[in-house]
Amino acid sequence: MACWIRAFVFQASDDMDIQTAPNPLIAILSIPWAILRGAFRFVGRLRANTSGMIGFIGLVAYFIFTFILPRFIEFDNEPNLDEIVGPIGSRIQLAVHQDNAQLVTFEDLAGKTVGVVDQTGGPDLIAPYADTLTIEKYRWTSRRAGPGLEASLIDLANKEIDALLVFSKTVTELIHNQENPELRALFDDNIVISNPALGPPHLLGTDTQGRDIATHVVHGGRVLILTALIGGVISTVIALFLGSIAALTGGVLDSALTALTNLILAIPRFPLLVVMAGLIRFDNTLYLGVLIGLLGWPPLMRAIRSQVLSLRERDFVEVARSLGLSTNHIMFREILPNMISYVMINFIFSITFAMYEQIGLVVLGLAPINDYTWGVMLYFGRSRGTLYNPDGASMALSPVLAIAFFQVCLVLFARALEEIFDPRLRAAV
Amino acid sequence: MESRSLNARPVTPGYNKIIDAIRKALKNYTVRVFVQAILTIWAVATLTFLLVREMPGNPIDVLIEQILTQEGISYQEAYDRVAASFNFDPNASVLDLYLDWLTDLLRFDLGTSITSPGTEVIDEIARFLPWTVFAVGMGLLISFVLGIILGMTMAYYRNSFLDHSLSLLSSFMTGVPNYIWGLLIIIVLGIQLNLFNVGELRGTYDISLVPGLNAAFVLSVFKHAALPIATYVIATLGGWMLNMKSSTMGVLNEDYVNVAEARGLKDNRIITSYVGRNAALPLFTQLTIAVGFVLGSGVVIEEIFVYWGIGHYLFQAITVRDYTSMQGVFLILTMAVVFSNLFADLTYGLLDPRVRVSGER
Amino acid sequence: MSQILPPDVVLKVDDLSIVYRTDRGDVKATVDVSFELKSGEAMALIGESGSGKTTISLALIRKLPKNAVVTSGEIFYQRNDSVQDVLKLSNRQLREFRWNECAMVFQGAQNAFNPVLKIRKQFEDTAQSHGWTDKAAIRERALSLLQLVRLDPERVYEAYPHELSGGMKQRILLALSVLLSPQVVILDEPTTALDILTQRAIIDVLNDMQRQLNFSIIFISHDLSLAAEMADHVATVYAGQIVELGGVNDIFYHSLHPYTQGLLTSVPTLEHTQDLLQSIPGSPPNLIAPPDGCKFHPRCAFADDACKKDSPPLTVDVGAHLAACWHKDRLIESRKASV
Repeated sequence: MACWIRAFVFQASDDMDIQTAPNPLIAILSIPWAILRGAFRFVGRLRANTSGMIGFIGLVAYFIFTFILPRFIEFDNEPNLDEIVGPIGSRIQLAVHQDNAQLVTFEDLAGKTVGVVDQTGGPDLIAPYADTLTIEKYRWTSRRAGPGLEASLIDLANKEIDALLVFSKTVTELIHNQENPELRALFDDNIVISNPALGPPHLLGTDTQGRDIATHVVHGGRVLILTALIGGVISTVIALFLGSIAALTGGVLDSALTALTNLILAIPRFPLLVVMAGLIRFDNTLYLGVLIGLLGWPPLMRAIRSQVLSLRERDFVEVARSLGLSTNHIMFREILPNMISYVMINFIFSITFAMYEQIGLVVLGLAPINDYTWGVMLYFGRSRGTLYNPDGASMALSPVLAIAFFQVCLVLFARALEEIFDPRLRAAV
Repeated sequence: MESRSLNARPVTPGYNKIIDAIRKALKNYTVRVFVQAILTIWAVATLTFLLVREMPGNPIDVLIEQILTQEGISYQEAYDRVAASFNFDPNASVLDLYLDWLTDLLRFDLGTSITSPGTEVIDEIARFLPWTVFAVGMGLLISFVLGIILGMTMAYYRNSFLDHSLSLLSSFMTGVPNYIWGLLIIIVLGIQLNLFNVGELRGTYDISLVPGLNAAFVLSVFKHAALPIATYVIATLGGWMLNMKSSTMGVLNEDYVNVAEARGLKDNRIITSYVGRNAALPLFTQLTIAVGFVLGSGVVIEEIFVYWGIGHYLFQAITVRDYTSMQGVFLILTMAVVFSNLFADLTYGLLDPRVRVSGER
Repeated sequence: MSQILPPDVVLKVDDLSIVYRTDRGDVKATVDVSFELKSGEAMALIGESGSGKTTISLALIRKLPKNAVVTSGEIFYQRNDSVQDVLKLSNRQLREFRWNECAMVFQGAQNAFNPVLKIRKQFEDTAQSHGWTDKAAIRERALSLLQLVRLDPERVYEAYPHELSGGMKQRILLALSVLLSPQVVILDEPTTALDILTQRAIIDVLNDMQRQLNFSIIFISHDLSLAAEMADHVATVYAGQIVELGGVNDIFYHSLHPYTQGLLTSVPTLEHTQDLLQSIPGSPPNLIAPPDGCKFHPRCAFADDACKKDSPPLTVDVGAHLAACWHKDRLIESRKASV
C-alpha cells in the first residue's frame, strides 16, 4: 500500500525532483500535498466527462448513504403485524368517529380514550402520551387483519372509543374495501380519518414482517461494500504482486505462474464459488470476501504481467536499466507509477466482480444472512415470495436498484478513468 | 539484484534432448492447445477430488457424522455406506482412491447420486446440460451479433447523440449484474406490468407436450427459454458493444481502410470485409471468456427463472448436499469451458490467417 | 463542363485553397495552388514535412480528413476529351473516379493491405468494385503487373500480406495502383521506411512501369535526389503555397527561390563536400497565423521590407519556370559569386 501512495505521489507531481534528497520534513509534508494536488487535477479532468462525474458523485453519495447515514437512522427490527408488505409511503393514521373530526393531533387526544392493537406499530407510537390519555388495548389474533382489528373498528364506529391508531393499509383493506356489507355501511357512515399522517411514513413501505424497508436499505450496503472492497483489494494485490514478479523475473517462475493463472482462468469462477460456499457454509460475510479475492486475481494478473512486460521495453526503463539502477528501483520508481491508473481502474472492476459474486451467492442462499444486507433483502424477497406479489415490489425492487446503481456508478467511474488516463491500456477482461 | 537478471534465463544442463523434443512438439500449436486442455481438465479433476475428500470438514466426514447421529450404526458401517455411494473402496489408500477417480472419469463414470441412489450422475447431467447449452448459446449468439452491429454503428457515428446514449446504456447493461436484470424482468415486466405469467414459464418446456420436432413443442421450448436468453443478452450486450466500438475505431485508423476507400471499393465491402472482419477478430477470443462466465452465472439465472438446466441441477444438488452430483456438475462445467476454449483456439486460425502460419505450417 | 483543356493535359488544379478547422483555429494547409499535369509526365512536389504537399495530393482524390474544407479552387480532370471537376463529383462518381482514373500509393505500404484477405482477393475487390466481373481476366492482368514489379507473381498473388516483406508490399501496391489503368498515379513518399537497396529497386520498377504503361505521376517526397531522378517537373511547396515551379533542370540547377536553394544546399551531392552543407535556419511557419508578405521572409537571407509587406506573385521569368520571389536577381548573383 505504501508503495502505491509513493507511486501516486510521483505521478501526481511531475515537477518534484526525485534525485535530490530534500529536508525530511518537507519531504513528508509534500506527500499529502501532492496527493491533494493530484486529486484536484483529477477532479478537474473528470469534470469534462459527464458520465464519469455522475459515477463519481454517485459513489460519494453511496459512501454517505451506507457509511454515515446508518449512524443517524436506526435499523427497524420491530415486526408489526398490521404493516406486513405495506406499500410505499404507508403510515399510521388517526381514525375517529365522524362526530369527533376535530381530533387531529396527540395533543387533541388528551383525556380521550384511544384504541391501539398490540403487535402493531400503534403501541410504540402512543407510548409517550400514555400519561395524558386512556389507552384501550385490542388483541391481534392469528388471522391477518382479524377480528381484533375489526372489533376495534366496530368499537370506534359505536363511539366506545374516541379514536383509533390504524395503519393506512388496514384503512384501505378494512374500511374502504370492506366485503361485509353490514360492516361496510357501519364504517362508511361513522369512521373518518382525521389525521392521515399521524405516524412517520414508511418511505419504501414495509417488508413481510412489517419492518421499514427504507432503514434496511440504509443499513444494507455497508457489509456488502466492505466485503467487495476486501475481495477487490486482495485480488488486486495478489495480481499486482504475481504479475510483476512473473514479468520481471521471467524464466521458469514466469512460466509456472502463467500456467497457474491460465488454469484458474479455465475454471468457471462462479460455480467454483457456489460449490465451495456449499461445502464450507460461511458464517461471516467478510471471509467470503477473502475467498472471492483469492479466486479473483487471475485475469488482472495476466493483464499486469503483459503491462509490466511492455513497460520494461520502453525507453525510460531501458535508460534506468542501463544506468544500473536496481530492480526495486525500476519496479517502484519507473514501472509502477506508470501503471497506477491502470491498476486503479482494474481494482474498481474487481470490486464490481466481487459485488456480483457475493450477492449472487446470497441470492442463492449460500452466503451468510446474519447481516441484513441488500443481498439478504433480495434473498428474503425471493424466498418469501414478495417478488411475485404486486404489492411487494418495494421489498425486492429497493435492493435491486440499490445494487444496480452502485454497480453502474462503479462502471461509469472506472470508464471515465479509462478515458482520462490511457484508453489503450484496457484489460481484456 | 543486478539489473541484468531481468533477462535471466534458466540454464538447461543434461536433459537438453528430451526438453528439446518436448519443446518441438509443443511448438505445434494444435498439440500445445490440446495438451493445455487435457492438463487443465486433469488439474480440475484433482482439485474436485481434493475439495470433496481432503478439505477440512469435507463432505464425506460430514455425511458419516450425519448417518452416525441419525441411525446409530457403527462408524465402519457408516463409512462403508458413504463409500458405496461415492463409488470408492473404503479400504484403499488415498492414492488408490485418486487413481480410481481418474480412471472412472476416463470412462465418464461420475458415480451415483447420494440423495437419490441408483441415479447415475452422468445421466442426470446429460438430461439437464443441453437446456443450458441451448439457452446460453442462443443468448451469446444474439448478443454477439447485436453487439458487433451496434458497436460498429457507435464507432461510425462516434461522439454523436446515438453514440453517447448507447455507451451510457452499455454501462448499465454491463454494470448491473445479470441476476439483477433477471429479477427486474420478473418484477417489472412480469408482475407489475403483467406482460406474461412468470409461473407458466417455469421449466424448460410445457410438460403437457410430448417432446419432438413439432411446432407446439419447439415454440414452448423457445417460450420457456426466452427470459433466460433475454437476460444473457442484456447482461453481455454492453460489453460486446463497447469492445466492438473501440476495436472498430482502431481499425478505422488503419492504413488499409484508408487505402480501401482510395481504391474506390464499395462501402458495403469496406464495412464488412475490411472494417468489420478485422474489428471483430479480437472479440472472438473474448467470446470464449464469455462462454465460461455466462455458463457459470447460469446457476443464479436458472434458479431465478426456475429454468431446469445444469445450473438448476447444481443448485438442487447443493441444497440437498448431494456431493457426487455437485462434483460431477462442476467438473462438466469446467470441461465445457475448457472445450469451448479449445474449439475457439483451433478455429481462430480460420478467421485470422496470421495465426494460421504459426500453427499448422 | 465549360472548361476546355489542351488535349495533353490530364489534370489541372486552379487556385486550390484548403483549411483544416481545428480547435485552435483554421490551419491554412494550401493557399491558391495551381498547376497542370500533362499526360505521361512525372511531377514532383518537394518541401519540408507539414508544408502541405500531402494535403494537395489528398485533395486530388478527395480523401481529405473530415475537418478539411476546400475554400476555393477547382480540380479538372480530363480523359478522352471529357473534363470533370473532381471537387463536384457525386459520391458515386467519386468512388468510380478513385483508382480507375487516379490511384494513390500511400506512405508506408506496411499496413496498406487488409491482413485477413489474400492479395488475390484485394486485387479482385478493387477490380470488381469498378465493374470488372471476369476473375480470370483480373488474374491475368494482376499477374502481368506483378511480373512487371519484379515479383514472383503466382506466389505473391496467393499470399497473405503478413507473409510478405515491406519492399514486396510496396511493389504490390504499385502494381495494384495501375491495375485499372489510371491516368494519374500519386506516390506519397513511396520509398521512405525502406532500406536503400529496396528504394533503388522501387525506383527502377517505377521507371519501367511508367515507360510501359504511360501514366502520369505526381510524386511527393522530401528526398530531392529521388525527385531529380524521377521527375520531369518539380514544384516546391512552402507553407501551403507553390513557391517555385519548373522543369527538373531549371529547379535543380537554376533555382529562383531562396527556399528551393536552401533545400538543395541542405542535401549532400557529389559536387559539394560535406562542410558546404547548410540547413535552412528557423522552422516552418505557423499555418494558423502565417507571417504577412512572403511567408518565407523570417527564414530568408535576402528578405527586406518589401518581403515583409507584400507576397510575391508566382511569375514567369524564363520559359516555363515560375517562382514567387522579389529577389530572384540577388539569388542568381549570390549563386554566381559562390561558384
